[in-house]
Amino acid sequence: MPGPTDRLKPALAFRGVTAGYKGRTVLREVDFEIAEGEFVSLIGPNGSGKSTMLKTATGLVRPLEGRVELFGREVSSLKPRERAALIGVVPQKLESPMAFTVGEIVMIGRSVRGRWGGPDAADHDSAERAMIYTNVLDLKDRLFNQLSAGEQQRTALAMALAQEPRIIMLDESIAHLDINHSQEVLRILMNINREEKITVLLVSHDLNLAAQIADRLMLIDKGRLVRNGSPGEVMEEELLRRVYDCDLRVRRDPFSGNPVVSGVLDAALRRPPVRKRLHVISGGGSGIELFRRLLIEGFDLSAGVLNRLDSDSEAARALDIPAVLEQPFSPVGGEALAQARRMVEAADGVVAGLVPFGPGNLVNLDLAELALKAGKPVWLAAGIASRDYTPGKAAAAKARELCDGGAVEWSNIHELMAQVEQTWPQPETQH
Amino acid sequence: MSLTKGGSTSRCGDGCRPAPFNGSPKNRRRALLLVAALPLLFAVSAMLGPSGVGLPDTASVSGRAILDLRLGRFFMGMLVGAALSTSGTVFQAILRNPLAEPYVLGVSGGAGLGAALSILVGGAFIGAIGLPLTAFAFALLTLLVVYAIANQGGVPSVYSLILSGVIVSAICSSVIMFLVSTADIEGMHTVVWWMLGNLQPASWAEQFVSLAFILAAIVGLWLFAPALNVLTLGREMAHYQGLDAGFVTISSLLLSTLLAATAVSMGGMIGFVGLIVPHVMRSIFGPDHRWLIPASAIGGGAFLVLCDALARTIMAPVEIPVGVVTALAGGPFFLIVLRKKMKYAWTD
Repeated sequence: MPGPTDRLKPALAFRGVTAGYKGRTVLREVDFEIAEGEFVSLIGPNGSGKSTMLKTATGLVRPLEGRVELFGREVSSLKPRERAALIGVVPQKLESPMAFTVGEIVMIGRSVRGRWGGPDAADHDSAERAMIYTNVLDLKDRLFNQLSAGEQQRTALAMALAQEPRIIMLDESIAHLDINHSQEVLRILMNINREEKITVLLVSHDLNLAAQIADRLMLIDKGRLVRNGSPGEVMEEELLRRVYDCDLRVRRDPFSGNPVVSGVLDAALRRPPVRKRLHVISGGGSGIELFRRLLIEGFDLSAGVLNRLDSDSEAARALDIPAVLEQPFSPVGGEALAQARRMVEAADGVVAGLVPFGPGNLVNLDLAELALKAGKPVWLAAGIASRDYTPGKAAAAKARELCDGGAVEWSNIHELMAQVEQTWPQPETQH
Repeated sequence: MSLTKGGSTSRCGDGCRPAPFNGSPKNRRRALLLVAALPLLFAVSAMLGPSGVGLPDTASVSGRAILDLRLGRFFMGMLVGAALSTSGTVFQAILRNPLAEPYVLGVSGGAGLGAALSILVGGAFIGAIGLPLTAFAFALLTLLVVYAIANQGGVPSVYSLILSGVIVSAICSSVIMFLVSTADIEGMHTVVWWMLGNLQPASWAEQFVSLAFILAAIVGLWLFAPALNVLTLGREMAHYQGLDAGFVTISSLLLSTLLAATAVSMGGMIGFVGLIVPHVMRSIFGPDHRWLIPASAIGGGAFLVLCDALARTIMAPVEIPVGVVTALAGGPFFLIVLRKKMKYAWTD
């Protein structure tokens, strides 16, 4: 149990630590403190020094300069067993070449106690508690090597818990697990953090996972700690772009409010627009798949009128599609409409998605009419009547009018693509 | 339920308690069987030999001499076999590889070179302690050379270790060949005979020194057994588990090298014992080194005594080198083990 004196000491502190391997400095002047009971995640690109930091924290790598302290005591001054009683590590992947059972592996966590003979009652209790916590008690007589990856990681966690440490460090330990298994391990971690007040340091290259679970993020880049703060403070678009050296976006998860980062793969997929320009009428998420497909097919796109914060407007922003936006939940106003008209005039055709129509966005169908009058092709998603929330079914009537005027109805995206292909055959690919 | 401190906790009965190192009651029975087989083996060893099957007539002088000789062979076989097999067990644990063995790593080759040198050059002048110690020094040197070759910055991979071990081993045997070809007839005969592997009882002094070395090393390694269990999870994991991994690795490498060197200086180049016996014992007793190390020691001794008894008898009155028997018996057996049982003792 922690004594009264070291209660106030940080669980882990790096004080001006420079560390590395022979002829290669990895960490440079790293400074941070982790208080007991915190849940901190260490993030950074591959090769930024995350694992080295973990090895330095556990005394496996000695700092060239500076001090590493565990509960106020310098790590290198601790005896191996004292150190193991304070800090437990769950590796990326625990490998046991020999045929140990789960129970035996977990019991290895008790070797901190260092008795030669068999485990005593206290060891059994501790191992049993650790196995209950991690839900591997049923597996205790199974061979470790025959378990699934998720079960193996829970066993490794149980082994670390059996050490009864005050800090647990995880080195990318859940990176290779399926979402259900990684969520399970994360839940266990949150439990031991909340209920047992065990400090957790999770090394992860999964930014979203780190932001989802940790109280605090530490971002490391080229061996330096570049940001240390709440997920909101660290998950900053500009900062992450610089550190990860790629185009990415940070948004708030609509359900949890967590910052969520995603790469901009679609932009890379997109070929330069060799084809026509299409204006897309959508909303409420109906445009996302349309945007994606049409971009991949090489069309230049515009969109609108959309409401701000609508998922389609977010998608358009993410995909760099020019869009006319109106205030959230407001009817389309004159100015926005005029802007959208100019877009339609610049476009070669109009596609309307499976968007519900109400009094607010009914004018979007006027955009289709405008195109039709200019002799441009218009594709309407079939079945407007079922999505028509206007008084007097005005949208359905409008749609019939448009179809009479030459608009084509499509019922799924493959059909739409075929129709578009028919109208504008694909240019010969150059080689 | 509290995780941080023991004391009063909920129990769900003995049924759901985690296994201690597993199969202990079963292992106890198996160990008993193994130990019980030794007197039998002793009897077999006393009854087999090139001079005929059956207990020699202790009434006659020659009969007593034959019995003495056979008992000496039993003692030598037990010692050398135990040393080789324990050494193999520990090498496999430290390198976390089923192919590791003093032979494969060049340790035996180095020890052989040292022993050959001291037989040819040093002669009697080197003495009972000198022979195993020279062998040990050369074995250590080989291990260092193998490590240096394999080490391309960082921790060398097991495969590069084994590869460079094979190469260094080959170099050692060609140097021995060179020494043999330039030696006089008597020296040549001694070295070749010794190299083929034989358990002709050495001088009492030599046997006593070897016994001391081998016993001390096996007991030392046995004390490291829990640490070796942790080490099988890798050096990093062992560090996280509060083990001074460097100290344990180096000490157990030194002790198992001492075992291999002493065995080679006594019995010459006897292959396969260090490879097969640990595997067989692991498939019987499981991977816990607290069981595995004594089991390997006894099992290795028993195996070698049995092979030696065969070697003396099969082509009586001609004796074939025991190394030939271990290889002939061990090779196919190893393949069977590899196919059938290894999956229980090793990952793949």
